[in-house]
Amino acid sequence: MMNRNLAWGIALAVVALSAVFFLYPAGMVVKQAFEATGADGETVWTLDFIGSVFSNPVYREGLWNALMMGVVSTGLTLLIAFPLALVAHRYDFVGKKFLGILVLAPMILPPFVGAVGIKQMLGVNGAFNALLIDAGMMDAATPFDWLAEGRFLGIVVMNALHLYPILYMNIAAALANLDPAMEQAAENLGCPPWKRFFRITLPLAMPGVFAGSSLVFIWSFTELGVPLVFDYARIAPVQIFDGIKGLEKNPVPYALTAILLVISAAVFALAKWVMGRAPLGATPRPKGRSEGQKIGGWKGLACAAFFLGVFLIASIPHAGVVLLSLAERWYGTVIPDELTMRHYIEALGNGLVIPSIRNSLVYAGTAMVLAVVIGLGVAWVVVRSDLKIRGWLDALVMMPLAVPGLVMAFGYLALSQEGKPFAFLVGAGGSPFFLLVMAYCIRRLPFVVRAAVAGLQQSNPALEDAARSLGASPLRMMRRIAIPLIAANLAAGAILGFAFAMLEVSDSLILAQQAQHFPITKAIYTLLSTLGNGTELAAALGVWAMIFLSCAIMGAAVLGGKRGGLFKV
Amino acid sequence: MKGRLIGILGLLGFIVGLPLAMKRETETTSPASADDRLVILSPHNESIRKEFGEAFAVWWRGKTGRSVYVDWRTPGGTSEIRMVIDAGFKAAEETGREGIGVDLFFGGGEPDFTGQEKGGRLVKLDVFDEMPELFGESGVIPETFTGERYFSANQVWVGTCISQFGICFNPDFIQRLGITAPTQWRDLGEPAYLGSLALADPTKSGSVARTFELLVQGEMQKSLAAGGTAAGGWDEGLRLIQRLGANARYFTDSASKIPQDVGQGNAAAGMCIDFYGRSYAADLITRDGKPRVVWIAPMGGTTLSCDPIAVLKGAPNAALAQQFVNFCLTRDAQQLWFQKPGTIGGPVDRALHRTPIRRDLYDAETLALTTMPGVNPYEDEGNFTYDRALTGKVFNTLRTLVKVMCIDSHEEMKAAWEAIIAAGMPEDALAVFQDVSRVTYAISGQGDPGFDSRDTMVQAARMKELGEWFRANYREARRIAESKTMGTIRR
Repeated sequence: MMNRNLAWGIALAVVALSAVFFLYPAGMVVKQAFEATGADGETVWTLDFIGSVFSNPVYREGLWNALMMGVVSTGLTLLIAFPLALVAHRYDFVGKKFLGILVLAPMILPPFVGAVGIKQMLGVNGAFNALLIDAGMMDAATPFDWLAEGRFLGIVVMNALHLYPILYMNIAAALANLDPAMEQAAENLGCPPWKRFFRITLPLAMPGVFAGSSLVFIWSFTELGVPLVFDYARIAPVQIFDGIKGLEKNPVPYALTAILLVISAAVFALAKWVMGRAPLGATPRPKGRSEGQKIGGWKGLACAAFFLGVFLIASIPHAGVVLLSLAERWYGTVIPDELTMRHYIEALGNGLVIPSIRNSLVYAGTAMVLAVVIGLGVAWVVVRSDLKIRGWLDALVMMPLAVPGLVMAFGYLALSQEGKPFAFLVGAGGSPFFLLVMAYCIRRLPFVVRAAVAGLQQSNPALEDAARSLGASPLRMMRRIAIPLIAANLAAGAILGFAFAMLEVSDSLILAQQAQHFPITKAIYTLLSTLGNGTELAAALGVWAMIFLSCAIMGAAVLGGKRGGLFKV
Repeated sequence: MKGRLIGILGLLGFIVGLPLAMKRETETTSPASADDRLVILSPHNESIRKEFGEAFAVWWRGKTGRSVYVDWRTPGGTSEIRMVIDAGFKAAEETGREGIGVDLFFGGGEPDFTGQEKGGRLVKLDVFDEMPELFGESGVIPETFTGERYFSANQVWVGTCISQFGICFNPDFIQRLGITAPTQWRDLGEPAYLGSLALADPTKSGSVARTFELLVQGEMQKSLAAGGTAAGGWDEGLRLIQRLGANARYFTDSASKIPQDVGQGNAAAGMCIDFYGRSYAADLITRDGKPRVVWIAPMGGTTLSCDPIAVLKGAPNAALAQQFVNFCLTRDAQQLWFQKPGTIGGPVDRALHRTPIRRDLYDAETLALTTMPGVNPYEDEGNFTYDRALTGKVFNTLRTLVKVMCIDSHEEMKAAWEAIIAAGMPEDALAVFQDVSRVTYAISGQGDPGFDSRDTMVQAARMKELGEWFRANYREARRIAESKTMGTIRR
């Protein structure tokens, strides 16, 4: 068990940090939900707006749709991610190393152009319809409108295909921590594979499943971009977005935000409570790494085809962006009928690009180092201490994931004005370094915390106690025992957090004001508004960012792989 | 493993090296080495920023021999800019500062600038004293045109170019629908456009809200011209908005999304500002060279409004900011708006496809150098002049009404419209669908008392009440229409 004083110290420090950099800025904005202007112009506190959200059927429906979206998307994501992780865990098949990295690719879809990419592929005049028309399976006079028909299902599928890497990485990390002896014992005692899965593997992997699912749920529950692509407006996140951007000073979007936060926290707490009741004892130390059973022949090919299939379907939007970046003209054909490199030459030659790469790496990198330190501390308190507040602490650090980007960004913006409390965070020459590092860190912290918590739940505290009783200082114990044991999880969380910080939109657009401070997302946004080939330029820089991020992640995986964790590269 | 790591690092180096090797040199000086600096908050697109930034740098060097760095601030569209200005001035007020560290607000709609003017955040422009010949009776910048103001009465903002909302459409799509090309707003309410219309969102942009207002006023003027009443025209205008809304795929605040979707064939037609329409028309063509986007100014339905510029209160570089305003109104700068790239005095890189505000630019010689040789907005007034007395007070009401009637109720509205079309447009269902009796000109025409209330709870209650009423109507209209379809099938 953790030293209580240390636990309190960490908990209070994290609460203070969250209070200052999350609750305060987000609260500053969301408090408008509780302020009404009376007839004589004074401000009065009220719960009427919260009430009016629930009494208005349009908003009730929006909330319900968002909740359903979250639940169904999470279910479908699990259906994709679990089999992938399990197959990768149990079997060694042809091309496994490569395919294992390939299936992570869908999560790095560049912002802004991703939507255009999807439309190029699935629009009325898109590549898919062109293919069907060419194949004689569709009448050119009456093309099918994929994005308008069956929108709910479309959004759920798109969410799942975008988010499954989060679950896959978390489950893969959980399975990597499994003691193969447990499964072998079951097998030796004659337990059939399916029973073994439900009685042994799944319960032991639950921390990873929970970690990934809670992230995916909150993400898809509050997802804005995908419903916008499908022009689906009756869903809470879109209603919030529309309301905040409206000319009207309207408290409803803030009331909706507050409700979304409460629901996210409640679902998270409920799931955690259910999880806590599951019989999950401290598992013994893995006595060896399961290397996976070598399979060849058609079985091996089937496994490889499964991975490849998931990757291909999930990267339809990416394919759209790549083709767009190469297109001289792409209109009603399966692939562009003329290809060109000129968008790349123009986009990459733009003076904004080089500083933006440096900025993004520095902002996102620093934010992730910070997030790993904080996240590890939080996870330690949550798993290894007996503090009463540890559940609250866990929920608190998860909440930034559920706050709309614009809300956080404007909170930071309002507070960083000259003479305001956060003004000291604005560096010389208006540098947003500290602002963006804190914003990225707070918003992506949940990925690190969930991964670290899952790792700690699976690693055996007896080992840490042993190290301590043999005289190791807490720091030495962490360095030599605890952190190496959860390295796979930490790597998964940090990589996800880093990638999503690199692709962060709202904070980047609003807080990076001067061109020399732009991160790469804002450089893409700037190119997007070029007349003529703006979309193609943005796609070209987006593709470049995608390749860069993939290589960076592979590099990290190779480094992390030394510990024999998540990616056995 | 080491080999693999070196491989990946090499690849990373190559990827990072690409933009390094391809970097182009531009005229714009870096912030550190510039003598002067100018901070401009702008929703203008990158092409406009680049051309104006570089041309101003050249102009300033020619005039004073000093270099200038233009620091463009682009937090997003006009709604983000409004929030940035609000946040800045709120903090400035609380801490006793005068300004927000920004010199100029450049681009957007007249309503955005009027709003800032009302807030007392703009300062008087020197250009009215330094270049007086531009204004006044014989000046080249009229005070009003088509009923729109081109500079503020207090001389705190001035237009730099003019534009109008119109219709962009995809000829292939129109052909597939088997209809003729649209020529006026009314055409977009035809049932053939069901699910394929792209509309701009009036709740997020002042200029779009103005366009919806003009749409209603157009119907009112038509009604008055035909001997009817303003109130009758108002009802017709609202019904036209209903039909457009029912046909709409979405309401968006992204200016480029609409011509992009139309050009790509994801939408048949849409509401689109002229320069995006012209730009996409020039750039998007089919394999056999035909345009994929055609932009038209709807007959009798839009005015020409200006894109202003203003110096913000407490500007850190106020004198230079005033010079930038002067520059924007010089012939040199005005030519940038519409000349072809590479022509003398034209833009360097890209055509901007915009119409300059100075009427003396529209001479035959200059027009020959432009991307729009046949265009002269000042001669081509059409038949519509904005009459503030008719709808001036419903600017806020109308956009809230569009939100309640069309955007928030879109699902029910579309379902009803589909059912009505499927049933062959039965009169009784249509009458329920198009019932606007709770928002008549008598009730809402001078600004709806509920929407305009200072009490936010009263506003919310009115929106809820009307929203529920409209949705109930749509559900009822759908029920009536579907009962007819069922009847036909049974028979």
